[in-house]
Amino acid sequence: MKFSYQWLSELVEDLDIDAKEVSRRITLHTAESEGVEPHGALWAGACPATVLSAEPIPNSHNVKAEVETAAYGRKTVACGAPNCRSGLRTVYVPLGVKKVSGIDSDGMLASMAELGINADHDGIIELTEDIALETDSIIEIDNKSLTHRPDLWGHYGMARELAAILNKPLVDPVSLELLPQGPPQVEVIVEDLALCPRFSAQLFENVTVGDAPVWLQYRLRAIGLNSIGNIVDVTNWLLAELPQPTHAYDADKVQGAIVVRKAKAGEKILALNGEEYSLTIDDLIIADSSGPIGIAGVIGGKGSSIGPETKRIILEAANFNAAAVRKTSSRLKLRTDASMRFEKAQDPENTLRAIARGAELFELVSPGIRSLGGPTDVRAAVKPLPVIDLDFDWLNRKLGRVVEKSEVIGILERLSFTVQGNKVTVPSWRATKDVSIADDLVEEIGRMVGYATIAPIAPAMPVVPPPVNEERLFFNRLRASATQQGFDEVYNYSFISEAQAAKLGISLEAHIRVLNPIASDQSLMRTTLLHGALKNFEDNRRHFGTFRFFEIGKEIHKKSKGLPEEVPHLVAGVYNGHGDGAEGLRELERLMRGYAPACEFRPTDTAHPFEHPLRSAEVWLAAEQIGRLFEFHPNWVEGRAAVLDIDLDKLARLSAGAIRYQPIRRFPASEFDLSILTEPRVPAGTVEAILRAAATTATEKIEFIRDFTLPDGHRSLSFRATVANRERTMTQEEINAERERMIAAISAAGMKLR
Amino acid sequence: MIAEIEALASAALSRIAAAANLDEMEAVRVEVLGRKGTLAEFGKLMGKLSASERVDAGKALNGAKTSLEAAFDIKKTAFESAALNERLQSEWLDLTIPPPGLTPGSLHPLTQIQNEIESLFFSMGFTILDGPEVETEFHNFDALNIPADHPARDMQDTFWLEGGHLLRTHTSPVQVRGMMRLGPPLRMIAPGRVFRNEEVDPSHEHTFYQLEGMMVDRDVSIANLLYFMKTLLSGIFKRDTTVRLRPGFFPFVEPGFELDIECMVCGGAGCPVCKQSGWVELLPCGLVHPNVLRAGGIDPAEFGGFAFGLGLTRLVMMRYLIDDIRWLQSGDLRFLKQF
Repeated sequence: MKFSYQWLSELVEDLDIDAKEVSRRITLHTAESEGVEPHGALWAGACPATVLSAEPIPNSHNVKAEVETAAYGRKTVACGAPNCRSGLRTVYVPLGVKKVSGIDSDGMLASMAELGINADHDGIIELTEDIALETDSIIEIDNKSLTHRPDLWGHYGMARELAAILNKPLVDPVSLELLPQGPPQVEVIVEDLALCPRFSAQLFENVTVGDAPVWLQYRLRAIGLNSIGNIVDVTNWLLAELPQPTHAYDADKVQGAIVVRKAKAGEKILALNGEEYSLTIDDLIIADSSGPIGIAGVIGGKGSSIGPETKRIILEAANFNAAAVRKTSSRLKLRTDASMRFEKAQDPENTLRAIARGAELFELVSPGIRSLGGPTDVRAAVKPLPVIDLDFDWLNRKLGRVVEKSEVIGILERLSFTVQGNKVTVPSWRATKDVSIADDLVEEIGRMVGYATIAPIAPAMPVVPPPVNEERLFFNRLRASATQQGFDEVYNYSFISEAQAAKLGISLEAHIRVLNPIASDQSLMRTTLLHGALKNFEDNRRHFGTFRFFEIGKEIHKKSKGLPEEVPHLVAGVYNGHGDGAEGLRELERLMRGYAPACEFRPTDTAHPFEHPLRSAEVWLAAEQIGRLFEFHPNWVEGRAAVLDIDLDKLARLSAGAIRYQPIRRFPASEFDLSILTEPRVPAGTVEAILRAAATTATEKIEFIRDFTLPDGHRSLSFRATVANRERTMTQEEINAERERMIAAISAAGMKLR
Repeated sequence: MIAEIEALASAALSRIAAAANLDEMEAVRVEVLGRKGTLAEFGKLMGKLSASERVDAGKALNGAKTSLEAAFDIKKTAFESAALNERLQSEWLDLTIPPPGLTPGSLHPLTQIQNEIESLFFSMGFTILDGPEVETEFHNFDALNIPADHPARDMQDTFWLEGGHLLRTHTSPVQVRGMMRLGPPLRMIAPGRVFRNEEVDPSHEHTFYQLEGMMVDRDVSIANLLYFMKTLLSGIFKRDTTVRLRPGFFPFVEPGFELDIECMVCGGAGCPVCKQSGWVELLPCGLVHPNVLRAGGIDPAEFGGFAFGLGLTRLVMMRYLIDDIRWLQSGDLRFLKQF
């Protein structure tokens, strides 16, 4: 929202600080200012001037103009405006001498756009009477910081803040005595007073429609509004000042009574912006007997709008339910200056003030205009103003400093609250949504005395050790271990595309869908971190021949009801551009065994299409599958891309548990080796499992030693068993018996010793 | 015989002195001092001598043996140290060559900042909580005093999901979850990933990291909030910081503030970083709104509190002078290996 310093200075008596300081004070006490920009900067030094002659300059679209200026005597300027002609009264701006089109051009003749009046850039301004405007300063306030303040969407509201901050008198631009008097002339029917708590309308006749005066155009332009014409510009003035949104209808185009009602399903309206909108039964509209003539609080209809031939107008100043306006405006994707204000919950008490102010301004811009009768005013029962009990001691405890009661009352009264004893009555424009409880008054006092006046005080806190977040500690241990083994941590997005889901063969239905994605390639929530890993492989292999990375993040899974399940996972990847790929998988096994020494890798013959058909294994821990290790199929990633994917909830649960010390054995152990010949591609784990199953408690350890593959594909796998007895030295017979048990099991499994 | 012993010893000493290496010397040792060596031969002859001659000869023999052994040891040590020295001199190693094998990986800068800040808070008695990334409308909005159709919902462009859920737009929903779980009085933080439906550009992301903080106790004041923030930020920035509060609107706090810190680049004098204002906007905070306390099952008549939200992503960018937010989730190791 843009505020004009000139406008504010008309509403705050004796405003003696400059725009920059106004901006600073508002930031500290009210809302965030984004800075100050000049408007109409060219007016500094500008003066009226008459063109004496305009000669074409050869080979240029510019003319050489001799001008008689009001302040600087005769000047020669180069001018490109098609309307630059002898005898024209225009505005001269001194800018110093510059070579233009081969002549020494001393200053310039300015267009309306350059002078900040409107968007007209077709030629230089043509004056019918001399004007002089002052350069204005525009203070831009962040809209977000005004979300809760319907009153600050206009200059009068901001002027009230400024007057309160500076302790200066506030000038009310509205004189209610100017409100037209007499019987209402406009028939208004409001069907739902909850959605339209007030609807005021005033009829005017003898209207002349034309351009707005320059001062009005200049003011609107300064705050970013375009001049449309004298009548519409007045409605915009009211919006920017009071800040009551209003609308002017051509009274002769309105048929019958004005009805404020819900739209019928499919009812259509051609709006002022030239767009046609299809309405639903949730939309509130203004209608006449022919149909909709406006979308309540959002935009007027084209059919009943002001035109050059308009003679009579109806000025509408209404109040609409904030939520309803917001709903309609978001559904139609149509945010207007009016809807932005209404959705902040405007003050219903403002409508007649707008009509009074409108009547005054109409007379200035359309001489001869007359009001007919008085305003129609349909409204819901007046709500009593909220009264808040304020405990002054409590207030000081909340602030953490003492503010004298008299100062508190002074501040509240400057902000138009009324205070009687401990009872604080909220003014109507703060009562719609903003202020309702004593805590709201803490803010009023705090911001007005200035938070800088509150000295920091240490809070009295009990000394207790906080509970430890074990999951985070666990994740950090995993991270530390991964980085020690050369893995770099990455963060990937939670969103994926349908193509990404398809690439890993995951059905679209398995994903939670984002209803309003930023882009179609971010429309699903990831159910696996592998999508990110794939991307990381793809992106980084362009820069590195070998690399390692890991991510700890959440998979998001659909559930039939309630919130989805968020499962933390760790995905680690090793990439090698060349080689047989074994080392990458080994590194990941090492990483995993570091996390859980008891984990097992079980080969699977049901590899996913994206996996190397012979290089995938399930990771098991304590009889549960907790993840998967595999190499990506070369059609998915070129080169060798090994991946480990682990469910961290399961890992955390299964690897928890206290370590219990085993006494060191006092009697010597014995070892024996077994070399076993197997069919091709029998994994060592299978053989080891057979040995383990055969072993008794005498076997302390079975270790894989080495393997080699015979020319015919058969494998030789060597293991070393360590056997011992805790109570005594084992006898050779006992050792042999243990060995024989293992050999028997091997034979039973159809393998033999080598 | 004594003369012969002395002559032998003298000759042997000369040969030891002349020995060029350990082997030559060892040959002399075996020849003279060995079990069948020449000195041993003299020993056998001792029996033929008279008792008095035997005493003198014995002395001479022992003297020769002792002096020869001493000479051997000295020379041997010399040879050994020369050999060792020779080995050492041959073992030059270029220690400037980087070692083979792995270099440790790096933690993501967001992880690093998060760990640092978590331990700072933990040291001040704050519990670290987690909350879901997919949230209910209730926790993300209603419980935080942002009812449906409140324009404040527009302040946070929301990703809506099937089933009426949404991606949390801030870490604030953990306030309510935390109050429910811990009960008053409490101190908690909740760092985590949040989402906003925003177009991505160098300074905007739809996915970023925040840290929510909350303290609930009896009689918590704005003065307490100020003290706490100042202490916290001095801890984060590892220097004394000057802060200021100004009004800010967030429905879940009342009063609500924007907290600015004095610009660390110019010290408050005004520079391009702080847009000449001397202050940099850092975080939103405020006293917890009574409605939020109620939603968390806490009686606002008895307890009050303050809450704040810290932008971790922003902090990372400030600390490492990162000029494009998109690097953080690029997965690009050229970027990540720098941390």
